[in-house]
Amino acid sequence: MMKKINPKIFMTLAAIALTLAAAFVLNGVLDSYLKRILNLCAIYTIISLSLNLVNGFTGMFSLGQAGFMAVGAYSVAIFTVPIELRPSSFYLVPMNPFLARIELPLIAALLLGGLFAALFALVIGFPVLRLRGDYLAIATLGFSEIIRILFTNMQSITNGALGIKNVPPLSNMFLIYLAMILTIILLHLLLTSSYGRAFKAIREDEIVAEAMGIGLLKHKLLSFVISAFFAGIGGGLYGALLGTVDPKNFMFTLTYNFVLIIVLGGLGSITGTVIASFIITFGMEWLRFFDSPLRLFGVVIPFFQPGLRMVVFSILLMVLVLFFQKGIMGQREFSFDMVRRLFPRKKENAS
Amino acid sequence: MKRTMAMLLSALMSISIFSGCQSSSGGDASASDVIKIGVFQPLTGDYAGGGEIEVEGIRLANELYPEVLGKKVELVVVDNKSDKAESATSVARLIEQDKVTALIGSYSSALSIPAGNIIKDAKVPALGATCTNPQVTLNNDYYFRVCFIDPFQGTVAANYATTKLGAKTAAILQEVSNDYSVGLANFFKEDFIKITGDPNAIVDIENYQTGDKDFSAALTNIKSKNPDVIFAPGNFTESALAVKQARLLGIETPFLGGDTWETPDFLSVGGAEVEGVTFSAFFDKNMATTEEAAKFFEEYEKRHPGQEAAAATALGYDAYILLLDAITRANSTDKEAIRDALAQTSNFLGVTGSTTLDANGDAVKDAVIKVVENGAFKYLDVVSAQ
Repeated sequence: MMKKINPKIFMTLAAIALTLAAAFVLNGVLDSYLKRILNLCAIYTIISLSLNLVNGFTGMFSLGQAGFMAVGAYSVAIFTVPIELRPSSFYLVPMNPFLARIELPLIAALLLGGLFAALFALVIGFPVLRLRGDYLAIATLGFSEIIRILFTNMQSITNGALGIKNVPPLSNMFLIYLAMILTIILLHLLLTSSYGRAFKAIREDEIVAEAMGIGLLKHKLLSFVISAFFAGIGGGLYGALLGTVDPKNFMFTLTYNFVLIIVLGGLGSITGTVIASFIITFGMEWLRFFDSPLRLFGVVIPFFQPGLRMVVFSILLMVLVLFFQKGIMGQREFSFDMVRRLFPRKKENAS
Repeated sequence: MKRTMAMLLSALMSISIFSGCQSSSGGDASASDVIKIGVFQPLTGDYAGGGEIEVEGIRLANELYPEVLGKKVELVVVDNKSDKAESATSVARLIEQDKVTALIGSYSSALSIPAGNIIKDAKVPALGATCTNPQVTLNNDYYFRVCFIDPFQGTVAANYATTKLGAKTAAILQEVSNDYSVGLANFFKEDFIKITGDPNAIVDIENYQTGDKDFSAALTNIKSKNPDVIFAPGNFTESALAVKQARLLGIETPFLGGDTWETPDFLSVGGAEVEGVTFSAFFDKNMATTEEAAKFFEEYEKRHPGQEAAAATALGYDAYILLLDAITRANSTDKEAIRDALAQTSNFLGVTGSTTLDANGDAVKDAVIKVVENGAFKYLDVVSAQ
């Protein structure tokens, strides 16, 4: 008895292969500007997905992502800067002699960053996840600030306010897109497993979920820790892309960028998050012409000056939120069935 | 309702696409006789105030000197939102899309450093106006600047404290979350110890965070150590509050600071209590004796009657004219040639005095000491770069 290969799985695999191949080829073709935007899109996708796991799928309102990103970014910065370049960053207080001798390849540092972030989440999670709603948001926000202030003051490890420079710049699109796709696949597998269904049950109603025999703290903690892991990876990539990290980079306002993305994409939708990350990152760049002076029929229009971009962006957001209250995708996911439904007539003709 | 909104939205979008095309096609038509200079600055966000006054100076210079080598100079100003990732992206955009010949920017060293890697890779000459962190130009052959760097300012303060104030001991009050403050404090400490020859000359180092309002604990500690001078570089609001609270606690020790204090807000927050504090600054009208300076002040007065030009405006102006001078000296718009010409800059006379670029691409120039007197900044002394 031959098992029939599901055409949908085949299509998905093809799409993944196509994305990776495109990333590999485009890496050598595109100019550094487009590459940078596409890389940012992928990194924002990873971080937004990690936030969506907690906020959208498990129904907890967490605002700690900037802190977990900082942990990841600092792991990459501390371990990947070539040893001979370190004194030029650490010119006030020399680097901790134990750390100063360790140099790791980027991937090892990324994973380490993810693990550190997860460890932090585990420690924070035990007391904090007993809180609900707004209280949880405030507590996680506070913890992300604590991480930032710790990093500001651990001079011999993080170089304090001066930050770490000379992080080997990462511009390899293939690696970043591979990380993004792995994140999507792993999260998809997690969310379709029994754990994922438990997360969603907790999101819908905690009391019912508990009555059904779902351990609340255990599952919330699991979701929180996994989210922190991916936020750490995303933060590490973010630090490597910029080539420099400093504590001011990880103010709590950074988290709101990702809250914006998941609300726009749909709380509880993986594909929605991916779409929203790309739309927002590209949109911000595309709207740049509002910032440059505009001549229409030889007349300079006075509104077009730096800053207008943000006004237009905010108006577009308001319109989107007013008319798509559940975001672009809501809780639905993009699927190949959806495409088929979009073009019903075409299919009929074909068959 | 939904449909009309959607229609409206798409109409808006299509108009914007159309207009976007127009503006860019207008620029391309005469590309061969236009030299584009990219300006990346924070025009929104935390540092918008600083970015704005710097761009003001660059635009003024562009109005007065609109041509070089017979070609029109076009400024392409982009906003980096006071965000590091955005700063890097906007520079990549200027280089790849607008094909700029050279770059000026950015206010805040933290925003300049992420752009450095892109500038280095693309081999486009860049000139900073007010970014004073040594890391901006370090190990980067394409990044230069027209301002002095933090170590020099620390040295200036230490020299002033020991020679003019006769200080034997000093205390430091630093904003620990601000790289500028921490850097300056450290260079001051090193030089102060070197000059006095006493390893214990720094009697106390106190930290505070950006946004702090109450400094009494730190100030009480300082008071008990009884230093001859207090060095307190940092953001102007916090610094003004700290000085104010020190005076209320009965600390009469002189305060020294850095260039960030030179803002009207420092005076309005500090009030009568900041009278007599001294700080190092980039330049002063009284020191500016060059022809260029006379022209600058005259033109600035015409455009902003009754307003005092900020140091950042003068430095932005200088960055632009130095860049034009380098293009003239290179006699070409080739990026490598401009870079080489910039690297050879020596005794260039701008608004802020004579500028010589050293091997790192940093300006070697004089600093000014200013004092707060009768609710205004007064020129006190000049400290030579040699």
